[in-house]
Amino acid sequence: MAERSFKSEVLKLRASQGDVFKGEGILAVTKALLQSGVSYVGGYQGSPISHLMDVLNDARDILQELGVHFESSGSEATAAAMLSASINYPLRGAVTWKSVVGTNVAADALSNLASSGVTGGAMVIVGEDYGEGSSIMQERTYAFAMKAQMWLLDPRPNLTSMVAMVEQGFRLSEASSTPVFYMMRIRECHVTGEFIAGDNVAPTYSNLNKVQPKREAEKIILPPNVYDQEQEKVASRWPAAVQYISDNLLNEFFPGKYDEVGIITCGGSYNTVIRALERQGLADCFGHTDVPIYVLNVAYPLIPEEVIRFCESKKQVLLIEEGQPEYIEHSMFSILRKADIDTRLYGKEILPGAGEYTGQVTLLGITEFLERFPVEGLNLRLTSKEVRDFQEVLVAEDSQLLTRNVPPRPSGLCTGCPERPMFSAIKQVQKDLGEFHISSDIGCHSFATLAPFNLGNTIMGYGLSLASSSSIRTTLPHKAISIMGDGGFWHNGLTSGVTSAVFNNHDGVLIIVNNGYSAATGGQDIPSLVQPNRLIATTMDTDKAGRPDQQPIDEACRGAGVKWVRTVSTYSIDKMKATLREALTTAEPGLKVIIAEGECMLNRQRRIRPLIKNSINNGRRTVRSRFVIDNETCTGDHACIRLSGCPSLTIKPNPDPLREDPVSYVDNSCVGCGVCGENVHSAVLCPSFSRVDLIYNPSAWDRFIARVRRRVISWMQDDKLAANSL
Amino acid sequence: MIAAALGGEGGGVFTNWVIDVAEANNWLCQTTSLAGVAQRTGATIYYLELYPRAAAGNELPVLSLFPAQGDIDITITSEIAEAGRMIDRGFVSKDKTTLISSSHRVYGISEKSDIGDGTIDATALLDLADRYSKQFIHYDMEQLASAHQSVISSVMLGALAASDTLPFDRSSYEQVIRGSEQSGESNLSAFNASFERAGKPASMVESFDPAKPDAEFIFPDAKTDQGKALFTLARAYEPCLHEILYHGITKLVDYQDIDYARQYLDHLQSIATIDNGNSNFQLSRHVARYLALWMCYEDIPRVAQLKTRTARGDSIRKEVRAEDQQILYVAEFFRPRVEEVCAMLPVGLASAISNSRIMVSLINFFMGGRKLRTDTVSIFALLTLLAKMRRFRRGSLGYQHEHRLISHWLDAVRVLAAHDQEAAVELASCGRLIKGYGDTRYRTTQQILKIIQRVQNVADTKTDTSLPSATELARLRDAAFAGDDNVAFEEALEA
Repeated sequence: MAERSFKSEVLKLRASQGDVFKGEGILAVTKALLQSGVSYVGGYQGSPISHLMDVLNDARDILQELGVHFESSGSEATAAAMLSASINYPLRGAVTWKSVVGTNVAADALSNLASSGVTGGAMVIVGEDYGEGSSIMQERTYAFAMKAQMWLLDPRPNLTSMVAMVEQGFRLSEASSTPVFYMMRIRECHVTGEFIAGDNVAPTYSNLNKVQPKREAEKIILPPNVYDQEQEKVASRWPAAVQYISDNLLNEFFPGKYDEVGIITCGGSYNTVIRALERQGLADCFGHTDVPIYVLNVAYPLIPEEVIRFCESKKQVLLIEEGQPEYIEHSMFSILRKADIDTRLYGKEILPGAGEYTGQVTLLGITEFLERFPVEGLNLRLTSKEVRDFQEVLVAEDSQLLTRNVPPRPSGLCTGCPERPMFSAIKQVQKDLGEFHISSDIGCHSFATLAPFNLGNTIMGYGLSLASSSSIRTTLPHKAISIMGDGGFWHNGLTSGVTSAVFNNHDGVLIIVNNGYSAATGGQDIPSLVQPNRLIATTMDTDKAGRPDQQPIDEACRGAGVKWVRTVSTYSIDKMKATLREALTTAEPGLKVIIAEGECMLNRQRRIRPLIKNSINNGRRTVRSRFVIDNETCTGDHACIRLSGCPSLTIKPNPDPLREDPVSYVDNSCVGCGVCGENVHSAVLCPSFSRVDLIYNPSAWDRFIARVRRRVISWMQDDKLAANSL
Repeated sequence: MIAAALGGEGGGVFTNWVIDVAEANNWLCQTTSLAGVAQRTGATIYYLELYPRAAAGNELPVLSLFPAQGDIDITITSEIAEAGRMIDRGFVSKDKTTLISSSHRVYGISEKSDIGDGTIDATALLDLADRYSKQFIHYDMEQLASAHQSVISSVMLGALAASDTLPFDRSSYEQVIRGSEQSGESNLSAFNASFERAGKPASMVESFDPAKPDAEFIFPDAKTDQGKALFTLARAYEPCLHEILYHGITKLVDYQDIDYARQYLDHLQSIATIDNGNSNFQLSRHVARYLALWMCYEDIPRVAQLKTRTARGDSIRKEVRAEDQQILYVAEFFRPRVEEVCAMLPVGLASAISNSRIMVSLINFFMGGRKLRTDTVSIFALLTLLAKMRRFRRGSLGYQHEHRLISHWLDAVRVLAAHDQEAAVELASCGRLIKGYGDTRYRTTQQILKIIQRVQNVADTKTDTSLPSATELARLRDAAFAGDDNVAFEEALEA
């Protein structure tokens, strides 16, 4: 069950011919897949296409009716391998993942697929995680498209164009026997808009109409086939693609009256270009432009004839190509040079060499381009200096004042997160044993590398923490420590990490954070489940709906040959500290695996909140717990915050007129996970933390004993306020 | 239009409302976001572009997916520092942007984790926001939301509707809120309250004059003769000290007794007489403040006293938002150690115990982490008894220890004051270090001790030329506040 439910939105996928479909980009692309008659879909979640997986998951009914097979793949490699169904059979299929990381994981399968070639349309929808909001290193999928010979679609970011390009993409794939990438940028995934829907098309072949097994030996990637396949890529698949793209006008030409200059842009940047021209008075908001524009909805391969046609009549052309290296720019120079066309092409000479081409960057680039090459009659509304000034509106003194007073907001763990107590424990053990080198991994737990924990040295990839400590382990003064999530464990960690470590007698510690979900990508289900642990303070719980086919992590580790496996609740800080200390100091050789168990609090809250509400409404005795801080005993040193960093643990002005520093304070978002209290005990903090149990629908005994206690206690209370004795 | 919200504040809900309102008025609304996942990614920015369908005809407008500097009509943020961030990023223009922001604070981790006070200056932000926007609408939207049991997004929507920047009338907003799935009524009342609040001209631009220094403090009338006598003594000090003295005396009497407050004034006298009066008697003011706090050091009787106060029950009820008459169980998390136990015992006994390994391990065995239910009779009785032990505090080891430190500190302040009043002020301010419990308290005590030592060593050798300067002392104090690991402080000490 994922963090966001699309149950109501997926009903839109039933729209038929002529209906106006309104919704988000990912939903529109899903609809386009159904309109294209796909036989199968799969993928691995990750921003920005997590929601695409969630939509598919929530749309299982609709998919089933059409006979579309769907899998939540174990990794991007698993998903890419699914596309093999399109090699021998006219089956259309699509898979999706976060790129470029997912593409890297899938690389082996993709290369082989691209070499074999496809019969049915095969599409990889990549969420291009580049620019603001990205969570990974900044690279382009483009490089992979070039080296494996897969085509890369980058449509204009409006729903109509996006949907059309999915449908065209399958036809292009089939016309050229080549799998295609369909690129969705971050903002494109979440853009809302509308398009006129078509009917969903049931696939020709599916579980409802099965194929006749067929062997095409020449498509298997063994020598000598691979040599032929390479020749075929160049001799027939590429030309076929070029033919299809130009015949079907997949790229677009928008004429303009100033014919000496022009702009070439990838589809994804088109709207930004139009807005820049609009602000300069050179276009209207419907895209009618004075400066001619050539839009590459297919970013790879380029169509030399089109490039020449656009450029030959012009003196200067600006190419808007986001990301680096500037592959398109190099190719275009090559096309123009070979055709002996001396139109001057500008790209990263004017635009920045790296980074996102935002509205401001694009406007500045186009302005500088048009300033450098004045065209008769073309007047700019804004000079480049004026454009630059948009970014520097404050006078120096105010700018400094502002910088000083805008605190950073780094990503962090949620309120009540089970990983918080675990990192508190690690921090406390580190304090005793000395500085740690920790190999971290991808997942929520990578936030531990930030304040307030500041734990972790390297992140090499999803599920690769243990593998990445295999070299440093002999050089460290302590046993190597690797931290991995359950998501990463199943994605890659079991094979690349655990199996390899056991095989190589790795005498280190692996902490597997078992929270029951692929939490960082939005709470999708994973092969293992987590036992609902009775938290210190949360008194309402139910068993999680179990799955009969769940695959426990500890069994997997033992199966891979690990002898030393301990499972500890992350919320038991003292026990976690003891286990970690034992793992780090034991003389027992081999890999030590600590499974740190605690259900993802975000998912847990979503699960139990309705239960609590129901229970209260049904008149059953219900206890809800949360923590408070006594602001009279708190002296405002914030040691508790430095140890925890929980969002609900915050500060407020000190009520004591003599004290100047703010006191710690638990706000109303506290879920009562109990970590504050555990820290008080394990780290010997102050006596300011109290747990408050709020009793709903109290029993007769509750009421009786409360009455008695109140009465007796009021007899004892004789504290006169000081002001009275003065 | 930009909407910037923090994780979990309903930025997505807000955006959907605006889409629906636009739709109801036959406007196109394109939105996009850098949707992080919930709380984990801090601030989330939504970007919206709106266009009237009537003007579009058969063509659809090409709307941008990027907010661009100098091109924003409305920026709405759910917190004032986020408004600052939007200004910083260039998303607020003087000639164009209506800036709507809640004026409340959600503290960042760097602010929260500071050992002292790391909070930013929100007033400076309000002032900047006012000067660098075309129109600035702001008030505490969080407070308004919670007053109506609603969420901040409905209050933000009310402010947007009232700002008159979008050509949609109030009723179409109300319609959309009523039609939305959850808690329509409370959202609607929050929306309406916000609409009214934003519409008041006074709130459009509130004045940011820093609070004026309070008028001269007047001692309240004392109820007892002893009180009268104390206040008379206190009144003899400079008027600028009166407020601190009043709070100090009240705290000390509450902590111990009238005599203890007199003791406090005696200590203070020795400083006040050598204060040259600079910066409004800064030296005396600092000593008055930190001396009172130090003398009220937290020991077991003090904590027990605070935990058994009559007023405490009500403040907890309020804080957890308990319903009327709702039964609450309250468990305190304590971890007393031998050190704390010995501190409340008579000097002789305490030394005997702390020197006996057997006794130490015995006490440790019984101490450890404790969860004590203060709503139960037995625990309350125990704490009441412990609180009453304060009567014997003067004979305790803790008292002896703290008061020895206090006199070291005062001596050092006096030594410095004779040569360099500014340096003395800085040393007095080091009293701010005295806080925390357990390890933290031990560390800060050691730090101030080392600073005092730095002065004392020089004083003892009678070579006053090398007494630490004000700058050096300030640097040491800042270093002590730099972190839990003492590293910065040791480095500063070496330097």
